[in-house]
Amino acid sequence: MSRVPSAENLCFLCGEPAVARLVEPERRLCAAHFIEDVEARVLTALTREQMVAPGDRVAVGLSGGKDSTALLLVLHRLLPEFGADLVAVTIDEGIAGYREETLRAAEALTEELGVEHAFVTFADLFGDDLDGLLVGREAQGCAVCGVLRRRALAEGVKRVGATKLATGHNLDDEAQSVLMNVLRGDLPRLLQDTSTGQPGHFVPRLKPLAVLSEKEIVTYLLLRGYYRDLPECPYAGTALRSEVRTMLAGLEHRHPGTMVRLMRFRDGARRSTGPAASTGVLGTCRICGELTSGEVCRVCGLLGREG
Amino acid sequence: MQIILPDKSVRTLACTSAPIEEILLELGINPTTVIVVKNGKVVPEDVIATEGDEIRILRFSHGG
Repeated sequence: MSRVPSAENLCFLCGEPAVARLVEPERRLCAAHFIEDVEARVLTALTREQMVAPGDRVAVGLSGGKDSTALLLVLHRLLPEFGADLVAVTIDEGIAGYREETLRAAEALTEELGVEHAFVTFADLFGDDLDGLLVGREAQGCAVCGVLRRRALAEGVKRVGATKLATGHNLDDEAQSVLMNVLRGDLPRLLQDTSTGQPGHFVPRLKPLAVLSEKEIVTYLLLRGYYRDLPECPYAGTALRSEVRTMLAGLEHRHPGTMVRLMRFRDGARRSTGPAASTGVLGTCRICGELTSGEVCRVCGLLGREG
Repeated sequence: MQIILPDKSVRTLACTSAPIEEILLELGINPTTVIVVKNGKVVPEDVIATEGDEIRILRFSHGG
């Protein structure tokens, strides 16, 4: 969809040069008002969805990449308003030549902000780093890492005594997941809502940045002086996600608001089916005791553990 | 005008004036996947670039 070029690119609030043009509602914003707008939208999401309560200890899953960096920066500003505490948890998967730089970025950020920071390594938790665990099955890198990282984050949350876990998933990630679940015909996964947690197993998981596009997050980091062009993970991207990302980016450009409408579709589907529809019957893994829908959980299955 | 592409290569365009969005599309770049920096300032891609401008295109890596 072609748009009429801007003759006057000025912030609608103050008349300074605009850095971004946003839709719904249509508005142009200067750097200072863009930063305010981003933080206000996250604050609205936190409040509307009652993500945080006074006394909460919120752990941010901080990889050191762009999304989690933005999440920590935003929550560092917003959480004091809720009377909640902030702590960072970083998982070192052990990916040679990639993870070192992002780990340094994560550490530098928490030092600068004065945020407590805990590290959990795959080597400690699973007996080997990701590179070692993937030998012979490198093509499954993202899938294996995703399962193990969720477990490692849950372990980190326990170690720091957090009551909630916040991750940096953005609107693009979430909209891609909706479409991927539709394309895979995976209705249970589409309906699965982890925001309420499972007492004794998982704390509630929050995604405060799901109201922001990836582009808005990068713009926010650039304007606050925190954007770094970090390397991309060598295991990045399954074939399907990569295709869906390209397709959705094209649709979003030609039909602005596509990603937001996909999220509305998912939320509507969840509301109409109720909370019980997604989870089915969960038991505990006979090897490690964590929640699973089968006899052995995916972590133990991937690690080849025998009970 | 000079266009600095995501891979840091530089391209000089002969046109005197064009909306940046059109330039991106001609280069095969989806505007939703990049940030545009015009003469050192972040701008929406519907602003117009004119002769003498330096346009830097930042493609953000995935993950994070």
